[in-house]
Amino acid sequence: MTQYIVRRVIQAIPVLFLISVVSFVLMMQAPGGPAAQFNQNPHISPAQINKWLADWCLVRQPTVMDTVREYLGWLGVWNCTGGSFLSAHGLPNFLPAFLGGGTNGILHGDFGYSIETGQPVLQMILARLPATLILMGTAFVLWATIAILAGVLAAVKRYSFFDQSVTFVSYVFYSLPTFWLGLILIFIFGVTLRWFPVQGIVNVRNTPAPFATSAYWAAFAANPLPYLYDIGAHLVLPVVTLIAVSIAGDSRFVRSAMLDSLHQDYVRTARAKGISERQVIVRHAFRNAMLPILTNLALEIAFLFSGAIVTETVFSWPGMGRLYYDGVNARDYFLLMGILLIGSVLVVVMNLVADIAYAIADPRIRYD
Amino acid sequence: MGTPPPPDVLLDVRDLRTYFRVMDGTVPAVDGVSFQVHRGETLGVVGESGCGKSVTALTIMRLIETPPGEIVGGEVWFNGRDILTLSSDEMLQVRGAEMAMIFQEPMTSLNPVLTIGDQIAEAVVAHKKVGHKAAWDRAIEMLQLVGIPEAQRRVKQHPHELSGGMRQRVMIALALSCDPKLLIADEPTTALDVTIQAQILELIRRVQEETGTALLLITHDLGVVAETVQRVVVMYAGKVVETGTVDEVLQDPKHPYTEGLLASIPSQGLRGTRLNVIRGSIPNPFRMPVGCRFAPRCPYAFDPCRDHEPPLEGPGDGDRRVACWLHSRPPFGIEHRPRYGTSTATALAQRTAGVAS
Ligand SMILES: Nc1ncnc2c1ncn2[C@@H]1O[C@H](COP(=O)(O)OP(=O)(O)OP(=O)(O)O)[C@@H](O)[C@H]1O
Ligand SMILES: [Mg+2]
Repeated sequence: MTQYIVRRVIQAIPVLFLISVVSFVLMMQAPGGPAAQFNQNPHISPAQINKWLADWCLVRQPTVMDTVREYLGWLGVWNCTGGSFLSAHGLPNFLPAFLGGGTNGILHGDFGYSIETGQPVLQMILARLPATLILMGTAFVLWATIAILAGVLAAVKRYSFFDQSVTFVSYVFYSLPTFWLGLILIFIFGVTLRWFPVQGIVNVRNTPAPFATSAYWAAFAANPLPYLYDIGAHLVLPVVTLIAVSIAGDSRFVRSAMLDSLHQDYVRTARAKGISERQVIVRHAFRNAMLPILTNLALEIAFLFSGAIVTETVFSWPGMGRLYYDGVNARDYFLLMGILLIGSVLVVVMNLVADIAYAIADPRIRYD
Repeated sequence: MGTPPPPDVLLDVRDLRTYFRVMDGTVPAVDGVSFQVHRGETLGVVGESGCGKSVTALTIMRLIETPPGEIVGGEVWFNGRDILTLSSDEMLQVRGAEMAMIFQEPMTSLNPVLTIGDQIAEAVVAHKKVGHKAAWDRAIEMLQLVGIPEAQRRVKQHPHELSGGMRQRVMIALALSCDPKLLIADEPTTALDVTIQAQILELIRRVQEETGTALLLITHDLGVVAETVQRVVVMYAGKVVETGTVDEVLQDPKHPYTEGLLASIPSQGLRGTRLNVIRGSIPNPFRMPVGCRFAPRCPYAFDPCRDHEPPLEGPGDGDRRVACWLHSRPPFGIEHRPRYGTSTATALAQRTAGVAS
């Protein structure tokens, strides 16, 4: 098992490299380029621009070789200031700094600086991470729980009133675009009924400091209940927007997976043993239906991420999705590449977790 | 409501009817089936594919899925009570404990994600009211009983690590783990290699002898019937057409369908000659023939066969029963003079000799 996990982790590394190549090339091939963006910022002098360009191996009219060098520099394999694969210490640049490697590039935690704000990209992303994790974590847990419960119940009580209702509601939600659903929810429950806040993650009037600052966390830790309540209220509409469509599709998927396994021979064998119907459903039917469901959940994690961009934008949620949207508007190249990469790493990691969960759940998977 | 059968009768199925209501209409899969199994006895149920053997077995186990299936009539007296009147909770005490079943498909009948031991122990815990450790020991003991080598190790394996024959052994171990009084085996060897088939049959015979459980063996292999069972029920299109001891039925078939089944067994001496199969195919379940259901395929069919259903009754004394107008007095007012072609004349003359008088 451990061996299997190690092998899957090692297999993930080339995937991440490929993702870094694709996100770099796509961004750098977009019209304009970082240099043009720098030029539009009146706060930086030409000398500063030239220094930054040199720091990141950026060339104003790059050839293919220049682009490769830009990528390797961004990655941290190429030492831009020294112009070689070796660091200032004469050792391979990709090594960690404390082993004598370089300090530039994402391998060394250097995602570059935001063109818009001048702050380190990593710092900006990390500041936005808690809000996104709160939104996605809540969404994921609710999404999986509701989709599985609704699907399993609908399958067990097939053709019942409950099953028909789930089917009906699913089809309605399944046909709604996410952004439109968000707007309608804002209009009904935020603006008209005034039940839920429609913007941000906390009520700025009642909090001593902006969300995710250390002052905020200090106040939070002193008296968590009202803060949790505040975040909870702000979560309702974005979470519903984010997961309603997915739940609609996935409860159908769970239902059919469950119906499938309910009709398997081993379920009949289980019934023939004279164990309770609940045990038959949980231990035998659901335990097997779990396998395709796990695969499906893993695939949909990526959709959750892309859905978060729209949802965070619609609800002004201070997370990575919103940051990405703002980054696109500002053509903040390094910021966008950083978010793409960190988002991809998160998706890859979660798929890895799902794969491992699958291997644990299915004894037929061979580990070697 | 009927009265209980005598105590030596373990299972008494009376006029059982199980219908499936599907999109195109109603399938009378089991339509008035009656037979008895005595304690410790082996009864064979034979008949061609689709005649309702499995549905009969599943009905006795109360494992028919409703909808589409429905037990529309009859009684199943088992160990002194009509189990069709039990609630589904009460049935949990019977199923797996007093009666158990082995299925045709060993490859798919075990849960792929649970260990063999878990699957057997689960039944033991449910019925024997013992702890997990004792149930696990019982699982090992049962695996040894059915001849699985290295039971200690196998018990921790998952079904995919075992061959088809081994899985069927596990199914037998599972079925017998709670000492049932009746074991229903629905074509337990059909899906296996010929050599394995013989081993599994031998195993079933042996464990049945050792445990003294009664056996209801469903098969369409008359060779298996001849070797294994004491009495036979021959089914056709949801009905019993003939019953009797294995010798009576195989040596002296009374029903033309049984005769056809016996004639269609390939035999060594006739290598190269044409196989004597029964012409035609089983009737469309949505449009069952009005009279005898076998009449459209029967070489001896005559007028009453097409309009009147023959009763299942004894041509003589004893347990021998056959549902055929050749052997029963036809209903009042029906002329009992078969019309027949010359090809079947001799056979028919023999058959009707004792009946028409
Ligand atoms: N779930 C179901 N829905 C509809 N019809 C069914 C269902 N199960 C069985 N039947 C019908 O009942 C009839 C008898 O089926 P059954 O499985 O008992 O045959 P069998 O004698 O066991 O045949 P085989 O030798 O192929 O196993 C068939 O015509 C079949 O189509
Ligand atoms: Mg069958």
